[in-house]
Amino acid sequence: MSNKITKKELNSVFIRNLLGFQWGWNYEKMQGLGYCFSILPALKKIYGNDSEMLKKSMKTHLSYFNTTPAMSHLIVGANIAMEEEIGIEEAEDAIVGLKTGMMGPFAGVGDTIFITIYRAIVFSIAAYLALEGQGIGLLIPLLCGVGVILVRYRFTMLGYTQGKKLAAGVAGQMKDITEAASVLGLMVIGAMVPSVVNATLPVTFSFGEVSLSLQEMLNKIMPGLVPLAVVFFSYWLLGKKGMNSTKLIFVLILLGIIMGNLV
Amino acid sequence: MNSIPFITILILALYAGLAQLDAISVQIGPYSPLFGGAVTGLLLGDFQAGLVIGATLQLMTLGVATYGGATIPDFLSGSIMGTAFAIMSGGGTEYGIALAVPIGLLLTQMDILGRMTNVFFQHRADRCAQQGNARGVEIANILGILPWSLTRFVPVFIGLLFGETVVTAINEWIPAWLMNGLKAAGGILPAMGIAILMRYLPLKKFFPYYIIGFVLMAYFSSLFSIMGVSLLGVALAAIYISNKKMTSVGVTAVYGMDDDMEVEIDE
Repeated sequence: MSNKITKKELNSVFIRNLLGFQWGWNYEKMQGLGYCFSILPALKKIYGNDSEMLKKSMKTHLSYFNTTPAMSHLIVGANIAMEEEIGIEEAEDAIVGLKTGMMGPFAGVGDTIFITIYRAIVFSIAAYLALEGQGIGLLIPLLCGVGVILVRYRFTMLGYTQGKKLAAGVAGQMKDITEAASVLGLMVIGAMVPSVVNATLPVTFSFGEVSLSLQEMLNKIMPGLVPLAVVFFSYWLLGKKGMNSTKLIFVLILLGIIMGNLV
Repeated sequence: MNSIPFITILILALYAGLAQLDAISVQIGPYSPLFGGAVTGLLLGDFQAGLVIGATLQLMTLGVATYGGATIPDFLSGSIMGTAFAIMSGGGTEYGIALAVPIGLLLTQMDILGRMTNVFFQHRADRCAQQGNARGVEIANILGILPWSLTRFVPVFIGLLFGETVVTAINEWIPAWLMNGLKAAGGILPAMGIAILMRYLPLKKFFPYYIIGFVLMAYFSSLFSIMGVSLLGVALAAIYISNKKMTSVGVTAVYGMDDDMEVEIDE
């Protein structure tokens, strides 16, 4: 019934999905506009430029959508395969089901891997090198970013060829990847504590001729004790009701003002 | 305080506008406070200062991300302006960090404004789809770039243009104890990024790896580097996964599926 999707349309969908998926992000439909924009080259090919089917399909895809952008490629790819095989007329319920059913679980896995862990590893190493004055650290996010783009390209193609089947398969594989990446991520941020948090207690007690430096005493107990204490204080505060990162900034600035004026 | 050449102000403001497009697409780097500080430092002739200010803000915000479209403070614009003011006033990196944080917090509202404005383009696209106008839908999404970029371009442009006056005023009435305190605060703010990540990652399940990482850098920082720690982390992660697979193979064997076992080992 419809025209066959070729590599050309898939590539064009991939580029739009990569760059333009959130240009139209808004509070009403979130990524809905970007989703429709990304999938349009395929829709035009399947339904032709001027048809009732295209109109109907566009309206479907302008609806609410929100997931991790990196994961959206799989859904868009699978969506194209379904529309090509069955068409929006009969497949509308299945397509809406695929989109709304997958965006939640995919956001859960995707935010963890592509945002939280990715940053914990890539950007903390880069920032650490930059703190040491090594500009070469800036290359790390750029190189890893190219890797992510390749993965996202693969996702578009995988989604298209595997269609609906892949949801379960991906979720299974992602669990191992998430765990392995969590191990690495936690080790890196554990190592960050003593190396990037710069906190000291420059207090000296004087007893006549003898003076004791508090910081030296603490270093003997354990190096990095004060940074670790500040980190766990922040960690503990973040677990409190009504606490968020913006409030934590003020708490830490206040703590800094106190620590900076100790004599 | 030296003033920033107009052309540099324009370039930095354009950079902030374009970097926002990186933030909402590939996130390859320019959107990060780290790059913002470094680029500003490079343009204003003090790359090292830019690196340090950018890196500190980056570490502070490691765990702060727009999950599900939540609004976060604009620390990229903060990083650009903080670095610029620090270099032009000769105030040092701590001074830049101390300025960048409140600027980033203040600009939070601009993000909300941009995301709200885009509702207009969504409605426009809805109307175009009703008429079967595919081109119109595409244009609506492309126009969505404008609110995203302008909400970053305008504040950075205005901030850098009038920054000199503002910064001079701040310097005149800020007391020494507050400045010292803000400098110390710059040192401990990275704790926030680490703490947020600890909340998001499965710390309770994998705490031994956190301790290993800490010990390596606290006790052996002269021998080890972050790269060394990450390599060790990759090794331990691989060991963890392969141990897990062995255990699950063992469980299968117990349930009498040992016929398959040789095959699995061969693989």
